[in-house]
Amino acid sequence: MNPTLIIASLTIKEAVRRRLLLAFLSITVVVVGLSAWGFDRLAHSQSLTSGESNLAVPQALILFMFMLSFVLALSASAIAAPSISSELESGVLMTVVTRPIRRSEVLIGKWLGLAALLAGYAVGVCVLQFAVVRIVSGFLPPNPVLVCVYLFAEGALLLTLSLLLSTRLPAIAVGVIGVAVFGAGWLGGVVGSLGTAFNISALRTIGQIGRFLLPTDGLWHAAIYYLQPASLIAEDGGSRQNPFYAQGAPAWPYLLWVACWFLIVLIAAVASFERREL
Amino acid sequence: MSQANWAEGTAVERSAVDGEAGLHGAAGSSPGTRPSQSAVSPAIHTVALTKRFGATTAVNSLSMTVERGEVFGFLGPNGAGKTTVVKLLLGLARPTGGDGLVLGAPLGDREARRQIGYLPELFRFQALLTAREVLRLHCRLLALPKHAWEEEVGSALLTVGLLKRGNDRVGTFSKGMQQRLGLGVALLGTPALVVLDEPTSALDPVGRHDVREIIRGLRDRGSTVFLNTHLLEEAEHVCDRVAVIDKGTAIATGSLDALLARQSTVRLRVGGLGEGWWSELGRFGRWRRQGEWNVVEGIDPSRIADLVDALVARGGRVEAVIPEHQTLEARFLELLSER
Repeated sequence: MNPTLIIASLTIKEAVRRRLLLAFLSITVVVVGLSAWGFDRLAHSQSLTSGESNLAVPQALILFMFMLSFVLALSASAIAAPSISSELESGVLMTVVTRPIRRSEVLIGKWLGLAALLAGYAVGVCVLQFAVVRIVSGFLPPNPVLVCVYLFAEGALLLTLSLLLSTRLPAIAVGVIGVAVFGAGWLGGVVGSLGTAFNISALRTIGQIGRFLLPTDGLWHAAIYYLQPASLIAEDGGSRQNPFYAQGAPAWPYLLWVACWFLIVLIAAVASFERREL
Repeated sequence: MSQANWAEGTAVERSAVDGEAGLHGAAGSSPGTRPSQSAVSPAIHTVALTKRFGATTAVNSLSMTVERGEVFGFLGPNGAGKTTVVKLLLGLARPTGGDGLVLGAPLGDREARRQIGYLPELFRFQALLTAREVLRLHCRLLALPKHAWEEEVGSALLTVGLLKRGNDRVGTFSKGMQQRLGLGVALLGTPALVVLDEPTSALDPVGRHDVREIIRGLRDRGSTVFLNTHLLEEAEHVCDRVAVIDKGTAIATGSLDALLARQSTVRLRVGGLGEGWWSELGRFGRWRRQGEWNVVEGIDPSRIADLVDALVARGGRVEAVIPEHQTLEARFLELLSER
């Protein structure tokens, strides 16, 4: 077997034995289960007209998915943070990197393993949440697959950044930076939305720069777009300043930049790990 | 004393010749050559290997040769630079000067690592895997044929005394058991070179004895063992040759016999001579009185017979002659104090 895949399978095996997936999915089942009650109330409320209800359910779902995207992204950062640094500190990696294996294969193997875990979690969360909402309210996002893809990409982005940082910084520092960066990215998106709504070019520029430097908010807005029904998009006049609203699908050049961002950060992580003296 | 050379034909002399010839020429192979293609090259060969961390010199122009099939002790006090040398040899760190070859390949060469077993000083293994799974993982990383895995794993577990714990998770192991497992990992794939960095640091006396037996077994099957240790007794028991390193500099390299035989101590009980007679025999060594015994320190062992002859010639009655070989510890301390 290819050394990269050996490391990837080892990473998955260790995570499964740590019961990481089980823990995340258990918490998600509880939260999603509780949300079922809330969506049911919202969909069948006597105080809302059917039109209002048709708008309220998708908006509530977007808010709920934001919470889940937050959990997903931070989980990605948390599992990636100790992957290199802690194993170097403890000595676990010392016998691995002295085998006939490139350090790039170790790092990419870990990335693949962690990304596979993240993908599994993202799919699990999306399937559960959309199924619950569909059952209790009849609403299904227009493109649930792309929502899942963008949520996964958002988490994978933070995972990749954390892996890069993990080649040089201790796990705790990586974890803190991961949370701070994710928060800053989201805040940058909010600032950009306000700049657009109130036509303040400086704020708009900050938002745009932020989305290029750290595309988490850009990917979150891509997910939002595919969560919104056509009726909600038609109402966009008053929603421009709403940080939980997306005006359009992500542009191809932006998605291309996101792909480049992944590549650049992953190459930087490999270079950093290869240059590090152990 | 910058560097001692205790015996004729020791590695020190060979290193000097190799150094003049050039590193790659000495090893008989070019960089990137597969070790199997350069079977005549030494197991380890370094020329002026140097490593600096800022203003601190961890390894200072280290030149040494470890021949294939020998057990080579790399000795030194804590902080002498021993582990840094190991890391340089394995490519975990890059030298700031000089160069080296391991199994005929450049330092850190990926293919050469296929033939190297390594037990690091800081040993930890995947706590959630069983011992068998850890060993299988290393079989896969070594790209050993799948049909050989179980035999390799079973043999390694048996050798290090963990056969009954093979299916237990490593997280339940004591530190000593983890070190045994690390030794088992280092033995996989019949490596040509086994690098052991303080291999008995967590072991009890039984474990230490087992490690000595394992090292002797490795020598018997033709593997080279590079034993990095500050436990001199360990080196004394198993090493063919040793290098003593202090503050990053090799202060002595040679065979253990040559090191310990170079100077010796002899205890004598002599009657029939007056007081102060030994002042005439100062050329044999340093004399001192210890009760009814006369002790001659620093005597060349080959001259003990001459000393006895000289005593008899002076009318002395030699009642007892007890040669005492210097321990490695005493020699080690002597070397360090001479710097």
